[in-house]
Amino acid sequence: MELLVFLGVAALSVASALMMIAQRNAMYSALFLVLNFFCLAVFYVLMGAYFLAVVQVAVYAGAIMVLMLFVIMLLNVAQPEPSDRRLGVFRPFGVIAAFILLAELVAVGARYGAPPEAQATGATTAAVTATPLARPTIPPAATPIADHVGAADVGHTQQLAAVLFSRYLFPFEVTSVLLLVAILGATILARKRPEYEDVAGVSVRIK
Amino acid sequence: MPALPFPLPEIPATVPTEAYLILSGILFALGCTGVILRKSALTIFMSIELMLNAVNLSFVAFARQLGQFDGQIFVFFVMAVAAAEVAVGLAIIIDIFRSRCTADIDDVSWLKG
Repeated sequence: MELLVFLGVAALSVASALMMIAQRNAMYSALFLVLNFFCLAVFYVLMGAYFLAVVQVAVYAGAIMVLMLFVIMLLNVAQPEPSDRRLGVFRPFGVIAAFILLAELVAVGARYGAPPEAQATGATTAAVTATPLARPTIPPAATPIADHVGAADVGHTQQLAAVLFSRYLFPFEVTSVLLLVAILGATILARKRPEYEDVAGVSVRIK
Repeated sequence: MPALPFPLPEIPATVPTEAYLILSGILFALGCTGVILRKSALTIFMSIELMLNAVNLSFVAFARQLGQFDGQIFVFFVMAVAAAEVAVGLAIIIDIFRSRCTADIDDVSWLKG
């Protein structure tokens, strides 16, 4: 059942990604990307990352894509762009390069469970089963959490918060500074530029 | 029911991690293709978002495989950085559009040597 859902949604996500890069209209691309984000939220649910699924829908499909759609409409580039003349004769090489990248990534992903790696992962799963389950306290570094695959995790978000606000507290705070700087930068960049007065009192237009 | 000429492959109970990794690779390659082939700055931005999401998917898959939360927390940070990147990047696109009236990256090549 889980495999069926995975296969169906995987096909949908790949199809929506293809449609996104194939669409001439930026508005349709954005909507296909939203569909792709919803597919990823389904994958997060399948893997037991429920909170991340909610965040995926709320932040990506909600906030980021709304911002993007807003800019698309603001710039009035929603009409289909003319045929891509970019790269010209080198265009097939771009496709070939992308296919090489695809082949490499798929090969690496398919080799993940291969025998040399199987020992390492087997040791990890042994460590998972050897540790006691579901402790509400803060797990120290590299301590596996409870086996949450398919299990009903009531404390999942709680455990995530416990790790986020203890071991990753400093990166969390740095993220807040990053977001503040991003807000300031976006505001300064996107506001209407008035005529600036330089030191000598001469009005100059800064482009 | 007649016997099949070949044994049916064993269906795993859960989706294996390799499947998620392969899917993540496919999505990443598609995003990379979009960055290479498209010329609208907004579409390139969306392709970058697609690549970030592909990486997030493999982060969560590894977090499940290893039974640790660290991968999921990394996804949080990736999302925060993506939000910041989108805000600043769209502001830059708007600024370029104001001064050049275009969102086409081929028309914005002042730095070309």
